[in-house]
Amino acid sequence: MSVDYLLHESSVGYAIFQVIHQPDTVGNRLKEVQDAVQDLAKFGKMIKLISFAPFQGAAQALENANDVSEGMASDFLVSLLEINLPKSGKKHKITLGVSDKNLAGSIKAAFPGLECETADTSEVVQDMLRGIRQHSSKLLKQLQDGDVERAQLGLGHAYSRARVKFSVQKNDNHII
Amino acid sequence: GRGGAKGGAKTIIEPHRHPGVFVARGKEDMLVTKNLTPGESVYGEKRIAIESSSATLPNGSEFATGANAPPSTKTEYRVWNPFRSKLAAGILGGLDDIFIRPGAKVLYLGAASGTSVSHVADIVGPTGTVYAVEFSHRSGRDLINMATHRTNVIPIIEDARHPLRYRMLVGMVDTVFADVAQPDQARIVGLNCHLYLKVGGGVVVSVKANCIDSTAAPEAVFAREVGKMREERIKPLEQLTLEPFERDHCIVVGRYTRASS
Repeated sequence: MSVDYLLHESSVGYAIFQVIHQPDTVGNRLKEVQDAVQDLAKFGKMIKLISFAPFQGAAQALENANDVSEGMASDFLVSLLEINLPKSGKKHKITLGVSDKNLAGSIKAAFPGLECETADTSEVVQDMLRGIRQHSSKLLKQLQDGDVERAQLGLGHAYSRARVKFSVQKNDNHII
Repeated sequence: GRGGAKGGAKTIIEPHRHPGVFVARGKEDMLVTKNLTPGESVYGEKRIAIESSSATLPNGSEFATGANAPPSTKTEYRVWNPFRSKLAAGILGGLDDIFIRPGAKVLYLGAASGTSVSHVADIVGPTGTVYAVEFSHRSGRDLINMATHRTNVIPIIEDARHPLRYRMLVGMVDTVFADVAQPDQARIVGLNCHLYLKVGGGVVVSVKANCIDSTAAPEAVFAREVGKMREERIKPLEQLTLEPFERDHCIVVGRYTRASS
């Protein structure tokens, strides 16, 4: 099955890529195809950035990180997909590549006409999403070097502190 | 006195075969890493400050003594105990390649309180990154505390069995290190490699035979784990027992190859 669009979730925001040239499923595990994904010059010709929606601040990033880890499509993501994906109808089915099958379910619930492929169902999708992750700082053109890492650091702390209910005031909640 | 090793003139630092790792040669030799946060111990480990030889003034002036002495350029190293860190035990055991070097990006599964992670952070240095994954909230707190002072460590309190949950926090990495001690650890490592490890990247896994199958002989368990890693497209490079530091443990090192040739 062919995939038309890819969704990339990162610490800086969501990005939607259009698939220009899709590698052959049969040949996918062949070395040449995998090498093409490694090489930004070649990989950059396989996909095209349609839209990049950066998060407006740390609070929104954390909210979306929590939603993504639970497999839920936030309103922000739904509206982004609504604006950027063409309407998927009976005649012209649109397929979106998503890394997580739970998120794919949530997206399909919001867009009944849309088809989703995940990394589990398609190795092509997995390879292309890997390629986007590897080259993301170059593919998302408005970013500067180190932006993604800085956002990961802030988001990692915020996410993890929330998980352990870490409070900055108290070092630990000892029971005395 | 305190006993044990102390810094000063008698100790000299030599680079280890692995870049970013050092050996302190004094009364006894010790494995050390260059402290990323000088003046601070993470878990009570000893620190050794070494006066660098470049401290002598270029013009050789006499004012270099007394109150007018320039701030001496000291480099601080932290002692890395092989009885507390399996990676340190593996290095002393003579691992050929640890795939952890200055500038590397490392996904560290089973970070615990972050004691070993802090040494990995020392090795990769300010240009590298350690994504430290730990599921236990109790150790996670210590991990977060350690990471506040080391900005190249990204703490991730999440289950390594579900790597997709932390996909917004992690980038592509050069190396996956795993010390998760779970019966299905080969699968856990595989899942993380398929998502986050670059093609050709290094995989370093600590295997505790007891945690996988307490009834079989350790050698048989190790062999089976290597086989499972092969199925996850990890090409085994070497296997090393961690004796005398750990019993029935080994470290398996491999290379991630996505394409099936």
